[in-house]
Amino acid sequence: MTESGLPTSEHLEHLDTDTIADLIENLLPAPEAHRAREHVKACPDCQQTFDALRQLTEDLADEGRADIPMPTDVAEHLDAVIVSESVLRASTVGVHSLVQLREEPRRHLPKLVLAAAGVIVVAGIGVGVVISTADQSKEGGAGIIPTVPIGTVPTLTSDQVGPNVQRWLENANGPVLHAGPAELACARSFADGRSNPDVRLIQQAKVDGKRATVIGLQGGSQRDILITVVTGCSSAGGAAAPFYETSVTLRSR
Amino acid sequence: MTSDITRIGPPGTADGPAAPPAGYDSMDDHELLRLHVAGNPDTFGLLVKRHRDRMWAVAIRTLGEPEEAADALQEAFISAFRRADSFRGDAKVTTWLHRIVVNACLDRIRRRQVRQTDPLPEDEDRAAELAGPVEEDAAEVRERRLDVLKALKQINVDQRSALVLVDMEGYSIEEAAAILGCAPGTVKSRCARGRARLLPLLRHWQTTRGGSDVPEKTAAETVGTE
Repeated sequence: MTESGLPTSEHLEHLDTDTIADLIENLLPAPEAHRAREHVKACPDCQQTFDALRQLTEDLADEGRADIPMPTDVAEHLDAVIVSESVLRASTVGVHSLVQLREEPRRHLPKLVLAAAGVIVVAGIGVGVVISTADQSKEGGAGIIPTVPIGTVPTLTSDQVGPNVQRWLENANGPVLHAGPAELACARSFADGRSNPDVRLIQQAKVDGKRATVIGLQGGSQRDILITVVTGCSSAGGAAAPFYETSVTLRSR
Repeated sequence: MTSDITRIGPPGTADGPAAPPAGYDSMDDHELLRLHVAGNPDTFGLLVKRHRDRMWAVAIRTLGEPEEAADALQEAFISAFRRADSFRGDAKVTTWLHRIVVNACLDRIRRRQVRQTDPLPEDEDRAAELAGPVEEDAAEVRERRLDVLKALKQINVDQRSALVLVDMEGYSIEEAAAILGCAPGTVKSRCARGRARLLPLLRHWQTTRGGSDVPEKTAAETVGTE
């Protein structure tokens, strides 16, 4: 209504819903916004549309707060896709989840083998980032590296092998398998020839200047680890040649 | 990338290979993603489990078709898996995931438009399934959910994706603009026009609430797609 209370031309025609929605969102130029606001105040129909649009935003927000549960088949498929992706990545960077492989060995092993065949070259070249002595010194002596980042080759002396293996296993939540697929396979076949072939750790490393593979097998109890350092596993088709052995007992926590 | 990594796994014990990944649950999204980038094979899957219902809601509302939504989400999560190292730590992981999911959905829509195929067939059984497990939700909740999905499908996709982010997901105009890669003013305009299109399609919500009906002229408006 105008101040005089007389209807004017803008009161005769209803605003369209777009205009009212634009008004709410402050999208109208100032003069038009003013006219529209005045009209809405005076016109019950347009006021109702105005209120309904506001209410719609609230209703959508209410509805949006509720998740829509993913259907089970979609969720299962998605999980399997992520596991495959993880196994594929593992085969190229040299670590994978034993938990996943244990759960679904049949579905994923063929893919892993195929992927492994494709990346032997990469593994042979070695993802050669060597941890610097500066990194080791951060831990405060004795050459302890708390954990070894994936794809790196830690440099150790043979007498640092035991304390490091102990730390790696104590910091891990399961087996530590840090090596390329060819190196892992070589280390496993070495383990298979031992009296207790339960592999707890396979770690690519440089020990006493030699490219080596550190293999940790379970000893008499869960906490006892028998460690063998071998050469020969880092090259394709190589065989494990042990050159250092030690054992450690993990601290129970 | 590796300098700040202090451990690859969660805090736990060395109880042996069978130890479950306890400790992950208490980690925030950033930590799980960081471990994934560091090579942990399990944490990305946990991140997916944590947010998949949220992302499913976004995908199904944006695409309107369960098969399409499932494919888009799969593409999005694989992309996120591979590009995780590009995540900037100052943002929320969920915002980053939203962006990837929304873009995967919009890509599919664009591809579909290029192909100019017939619209996808309605699958009533599937639609009912989308409304959630029967035993968990009241009939009226399921009905509303389906109403929104159906109504969203009928409006322009740009308006739809803006409304899903702003009105339904609660993002600010600026955040939605960043996710959608357009100006904030564009998002505001798409939201306003989208609401105007949705209003007649969902007008029965307002009548069932006990209020008076929305004016007839609104209900009679045709649904445009701009």
